[in-house]
Amino acid sequence: MRGRETAVRRAAVNWIVPLCIIVFCACAYFLTTEFDRVPPILKRGMQPADFPQLVIMLMGFLALWLAFVDKSTAPTPLPPVVYVSLGMMAGFLGLAQVDLFLALGVFGFCLTLIWGDRRWWALAIVAVVVPFGVFLLFDQAFDIRFPRGLLTNLWYG
Amino acid sequence: MAALFAGFSALLDPEILLLVFAATLGGVLVGALPGLNATTGVALLLPFTITMEPVPAIAILTTIYCAATFAGAITAILINTPGTSASATTCLDGYPMAQRGEAGRALGMATVSSTIGGVVSVVALMAAAPLLAGIAYKFAPPEYFALTIFGLSMLASIGDGSPTKNVLAGAFGVLLATVGIDLLTTVERFTFGFNELTEGIGFVPVMIGVFGISELLVQASNLRTKRERIAMKAIKLPSSDDYRKTWKTILRSTGIGTFVGILPAEGATVASMIGYNEAKRWSKTPEEFGKGALEGIAGSEAANNSAAGGAMVPTLALGIPGSPTAAVILAGLMIHGVQPGPTMFTDQADFAFAIFWTMLLVNGMFFFVGLFGAKLFARVTLVPVTILWPSVFTFSIVGAYSLDQSMLDVWIAVGSGVIGFFMRRYGFSVVPLAIGLILGGMLEKRLGQSMVMLDEQWWLMFGRPICLVFFLLTALVLFGKPLWGLLFSQRSSEKSTGE
Repeated sequence: MRGRETAVRRAAVNWIVPLCIIVFCACAYFLTTEFDRVPPILKRGMQPADFPQLVIMLMGFLALWLAFVDKSTAPTPLPPVVYVSLGMMAGFLGLAQVDLFLALGVFGFCLTLIWGDRRWWALAIVAVVVPFGVFLLFDQAFDIRFPRGLLTNLWYG
Repeated sequence: MAALFAGFSALLDPEILLLVFAATLGGVLVGALPGLNATTGVALLLPFTITMEPVPAIAILTTIYCAATFAGAITAILINTPGTSASATTCLDGYPMAQRGEAGRALGMATVSSTIGGVVSVVALMAAAPLLAGIAYKFAPPEYFALTIFGLSMLASIGDGSPTKNVLAGAFGVLLATVGIDLLTTVERFTFGFNELTEGIGFVPVMIGVFGISELLVQASNLRTKRERIAMKAIKLPSSDDYRKTWKTILRSTGIGTFVGILPAEGATVASMIGYNEAKRWSKTPEEFGKGALEGIAGSEAANNSAAGGAMVPTLALGIPGSPTAAVILAGLMIHGVQPGPTMFTDQADFAFAIFWTMLLVNGMFFFVGLFGAKLFARVTLVPVTILWPSVFTFSIVGAYSLDQSMLDVWIAVGSGVIGFFMRRYGFSVVPLAIGLILGGMLEKRLGQSMVMLDEQWWLMFGRPICLVFFLLTALVLFGKPLWGLLFSQRSSEKSTGE
């Protein structure tokens, strides 16, 4: 049963990965056809779309080669914690629109918790100490201005 | 000669010396932490150097490179987990030695062979880079184009993955480099209306994503791995008997590492594998390898550290990265407005030699740091991943943002991290993607210049001897192994039919 599962997964990998690359190439090629063209006097050897099209065609050819010749082994299934971590990254990007450092603190707190560490000092380090320390370092030492948000407004006034 | 001394005097600035010392400690820390390696460390620290002058900035990056490559041996020996992939072969003999109570002796040998390998390769770098630059000075755009193609073709042999996947990842990187305004025609490409993308996709967010954030996800899939550190009393320098047993191995591996490092795209990992295998092949007691042979540690460590020096030769002389970490350093050079290539040794010779001296200095520094601090650094090997990786994420995000102070770069870093993770999961190395992104712009520019120079008759490139040599080498790299395999299998099948 497990052998069959692996075989199915391997077949999926051998076909789905190249297929995804080919779809990506097709979309990218379509986009290149929308690039402006320049008159021959200005093109200086190549039209703007020529080089990307050449690279996309190479990628398409290699994807076909991958599908028919260069077969891969199936990777082991991912543990659920990876999907949760991926989902949290999406959540981080959403929350970062409200405040970058709030998002970093919440992400660090949740990640540590999800990864199985419930010690309060560990949670405090990743949720408060590190984000605040990094903020101070970049703000004071490197003069980096961060986007205004809920927490950064408290600092910037 | 004047540049040699000018480069040295640039390093005598106490501020730079302090920075190099701090970076050595930082590099050893990065190398000692499992999951973090020289490439990730340099990529993460690149944003910190943006506001600095080019000399201290690049000195810090090269210091991290050398020190982290050395420190990978600490975790390899003490917890059987290579701190960097280049130290994977050090585990084979280092950990068995540690298990039988010889951790200090194993680390001592790793420190000495790393230092010798590093110093010799930097001396080779000082001699070879200006020579190579002198040859490359005669290159016109078609020769540079052919050289870049050769450099990209070397990506096929990175790591133990499929060459097809490596080239595909490299091509993806080259495609990403086409995002933004085409400098030859000023036409916008793949910008999707984002003003921030008109200057192209930044190297830093992509590097941080593919090397840092993707590793976080890899670590998430290995949370159950338990690490146990073997206690170590003190580091022990090799005895005269140990030196007698290993000096030939150290010298051989140093030569191998320097040569492999000079080859475009090949880095310390390949060097350490070849160095280890050759040490075993030439050993009088090959049966001891894998059970705790001192020669195994010497072979692996001398090779991977000498590759760091070798890798800087094509990086500085030709602008073609000699290793994944050198690719990130190359990105750093470009961000600081330094254009690597043959002109660097005429227009910015002081700068080039300052880098060489830094590398020499670092090799001396990590010898003492390794000698006196290994026991302390061994403690950081057990920093919980639940604290380390959320902190790395914070550094990654703030680093990605800080370069252009753009939230789009944060999105690019996270996106690159997720893409990088799935690439790694399905057997695609992320190193070709990074190198492709760095070399892509140069490749297109040189092709465009060549087309203008050759009046759009690209095939004339094959009539130029240097181009032809590079194209033939490219064909050899890409098709040599399969052709050899085909030929060999045909011959063996003919033989078996004949029998």
